Amino acid sequence: MSKRRLFDILIALLLVLWIAPTIWLGVTSLKSEKNVVTDHLSLFSSTPTLANYSKAFGSTEIARWLLNSVIVSVVSTILTLVIDSMIAYALARIPFRGSSALFIFVLAGMMVPFEALIIQLYLEFNALGLINTFAAIVLPRLAMPIGVFILTQFFKEIPLALEEAAYIDGADRWTIFTSIVIPNGKSALVTVMILSFINAWNDFLWPLVVASDSVKYTITVGIANFQGTHGTEYSLIMAGAVVASLPLIVLFLAFRDQIVKGIALTGMKD
Amino acid sequence: MMKRKWLLIAVVALAVAATLPAQAKKPTEVKFWTLFTGGDGEFFDAMIAAYNASQSDVVMKNDTVKFTDYYTKLTAALAARTAPDVVVCHASNLVNYVPNNVFVPLDSYIKKAGVNLSDFEAAPLAGCTFDGKLYALPLDVHPLIMYYNKDLLKKAGIAQVPTTYAEVLADAKLVQEKTGAIGIACDDTTATYKAYTFTRVFMSYLKQQGKTILTADNTKANFNNEAGAKAYQLICDMVNKDGVTPKGLDYDSSVADFKLGKAAFHFNGVWATGSFEGQKDLDFGAVQFPAAFGTNAAWTDSHTFAVPVQKKLDQQKVLAAIKFMDWMTSHGEMWAKAGHIPTRKSVVAKAEFQNLAHRKDYAAAVKYVFTPPATPKWAQIYDLTSDCLEAAVAKNVDANTALADMEQKVNAILAR
Amino acid sequence: MRHNHNARDALLFSLPFLIVYLAFLVLPIFYGIYLSFFDWNILSGKRFIGFLNYLDAFKDDKFLSSLLHTCEFVLISTPTIIVAGFLMALIVMSSSKLRRGAETVFFMPYILSITVVGTLWSWIFQGSFGILNQTLLALGLRTVGWLTDPKTAMWSIACATVWWTAGFNMILFTAGIKQIPDDVYEAAKLDGAGYFTTLVKITLPMLRNTSLLVLILQVIASFKVFGQSYVMTGGGPYGSTRVLVQYIYETGFTYFRMGYASAMSILLFLIILFVSIFQFAAVKGEGK
Repeated sequence: MSKRRLFDILIALLLVLWIAPTIWLGVTSLKSEKNVVTDHLSLFSSTPTLANYSKAFGSTEIARWLLNSVIVSVVSTILTLVIDSMIAYALARIPFRGSSALFIFVLAGMMVPFEALIIQLYLEFNALGLINTFAAIVLPRLAMPIGVFILTQFFKEIPLALEEAAYIDGADRWTIFTSIVIPNGKSALVTVMILSFINAWNDFLWPLVVASDSVKYTITVGIANFQGTHGTEYSLIMAGAVVASLPLIVLFLAFRDQIVKGIALTGMKD
Repeated sequence: MMKRKWLLIAVVALAVAATLPAQAKKPTEVKFWTLFTGGDGEFFDAMIAAYNASQSDVVMKNDTVKFTDYYTKLTAALAARTAPDVVVCHASNLVNYVPNNVFVPLDSYIKKAGVNLSDFEAAPLAGCTFDGKLYALPLDVHPLIMYYNKDLLKKAGIAQVPTTYAEVLADAKLVQEKTGAIGIACDDTTATYKAYTFTRVFMSYLKQQGKTILTADNTKANFNNEAGAKAYQLICDMVNKDGVTPKGLDYDSSVADFKLGKAAFHFNGVWATGSFEGQKDLDFGAVQFPAAFGTNAAWTDSHTFAVPVQKKLDQQKVLAAIKFMDWMTSHGEMWAKAGHIPTRKSVVAKAEFQNLAHRKDYAAAVKYVFTPPATPKWAQIYDLTSDCLEAAVAKNVDANTALADMEQKVNAILAR
Repeated sequence: MRHNHNARDALLFSLPFLIVYLAFLVLPIFYGIYLSFFDWNILSGKRFIGFLNYLDAFKDDKFLSSLLHTCEFVLISTPTIIVAGFLMALIVMSSSKLRRGAETVFFMPYILSITVVGTLWSWIFQGSFGILNQTLLALGLRTVGWLTDPKTAMWSIACATVWWTAGFNMILFTAGIKQIPDDVYEAAKLDGAGYFTTLVKITLPMLRNTSLLVLILQVIASFKVFGQSYVMTGGGPYGSTRVLVQYIYETGFTYFRMGYASAMSILLFLIILFVSIFQFAAVKGEGK
């Protein structure tokens, strides 16, 4: 067997192993709660059932939650892209005193665990009268330091010559930003878009605390309630997890090409 | 001109009069938060639906929050005065909220709403009273009890249900020998659920010897003594010397083992009854927690309803909330389907409750239950003792060392 | 004329981000610093106690043990996730026909939320009914207390974390590798360099900046670990996987000691800051 063949087989095995947990998630969701603890190894339960899914969709506001997640994630992503790319441009291309300090200042924001900020944020939004609003769910996550980090690094890669030419022609910074940097930075922007969307979609603790009414819950908050007060119903929880994750997985698979191309061009050279 | 004006006024007046009945009282919407998810949640939601259907003055709108995050959300909301009209709160947790004046004292509203307080059992009601004022109404009492598997006992030739712990232990060993099943399924390891059972059992054994886990004024640990040593030894031996409880058993596994008929006895709270009933081939019984030292005593907590203080007091809403609480507690037989014990004598007397299997078997246990110490530091101590007991039993530490260590840590928390 | 515009332009471009950042991240952090000097139970008045919370932390063995567990996690998971990500990138950049499928499979877990990952792996590792132990039993072997044995619990949490996030590092490494000009590789091939020689002598050195980025981000993320461990082990068995963020969270919301919780989070922040600066200096220094 050629080395290449062997390599391919090993990789195939690794991939099967890597995707197995996700498959197991789906398989478990199709088992009835009774069978979940008895059909341990069977890949497909003797009696697969959609009962967990009908329970999830039937007894709760799950469609509402999915819609909320979509709204929150889309709005969040668009706004994050705008504000992150603007400051990234400043850090990458505008020479000014305090540029490094600002960069570190932005990065430092990543170093405090979010759980330590909940009460402060809640009281702040209460003072603003924004408790139980979409604005409250979206705002704290808009400024995404890691997005700034990635975009800054990439914008530095864009050939200076392109901007210089425009500058000499008399273009102001805003024009350069919109007509040169953004088009050439599409790939990094796609990366940040994906990260931002995933983060917004999967946000859990903050939406839980700030949304008083379950009608404002996002999907991650809603399905958390499938965890029982006094016992774990595994198959129901897995079904909920599938429902919450499926939209993201579908989006990912659909836009896989763009994502791959985009991420591939993100440069990290210094 | 004048005639036209009067005509106009008359028409308007008629129009207004015609619409008036349509503006007759809209139901008051009362919002509330609960932490009942899963099986509990289904029963509770059914009760709310029944309440909403039974009258048209008040509509209850419930939002559920998973129990691990429920108090985070509640505390934040109480701090900002944005909490809903009614909330569920464990009786043992009231001590963290009431002294901070975030719950409304209910006495005057209870009188106005005509709630029959004497119908409530004295003990759970006392747990909701602070400085002589009532701050919550108890919905249920959920003590630690013992479940047993009738089939396994029969197979081992045991004819009588054991009542003392010595009998339970002997029977457990017998079943293990004869059938290979687990003797006592008692969780001894933290996983998704914390291993609180050990603390509950420890406290129960202490109380059976007349001792509380903390001193009466809640300033010092009260278990590093002979009573504590005996209590600890029973638990440690259960896992180690007697070997009737497997090591590394977490809550979910413990419940699943009993549910699947793999364990003779199971120590847990009453809340598991509903789930076991759903298991068709499980023939089980439930009795009060066994006496190890001649007397009965068992840990309990209770779910209560409280009314958060709002920025602006709305008397109507508070009254509506009280009426709701009254209805829910007086229909406790519906909640009992989840396994919990009702708090009102009238409910216990109802045929619907008496006809529920198992509940009346352990309802009598209510006489012997005790609640955790009412100190704001209890939550921290509870976590600590659970960790300590879990570790000590897992490592088979001797009683003196284990208790001395636990005492030192508990006192450090209390001294702060 | 130019430099005037620079300062003004920089400000204008940074403003939208800074407004949101200052209002909703910096302000709460500073409020937290303020709170750390008080004794506060969230629901009532604050009591000023100066640095007492900070002193308490150093005497509190639960704080110290939680910090230790976090450090354990950082040490176990950081190299593993980085190396895994790097190996994935190598697979993706290889000429194997499977490389595109590999990219999807490796990145897919990153899409799942922390709770989903935690619950899924809790189920896989479940002592009595999880698929791992059931497979062991079927093979006639003894079961392992993946999440209930202190020897394996932290590794199990790390395992779930690797599966969840290695794909992200793969993305960064892939990008870094694609940056390396083709002619460098061609020259090496002409010189007769084999796969491993190329890897060690060319690829790795040229990935220095990418590696630094990955390292800093990974360490920061590992220090903040909480969600997975909370769901999978609840900090058990007997607190042996209780990480610092869990203790901070419980101190604030279960024990109602918000001032102390804030002080501990500031301490964690300082630790992460120093470690990051140290890493940056060390790697950059080597480059010279």
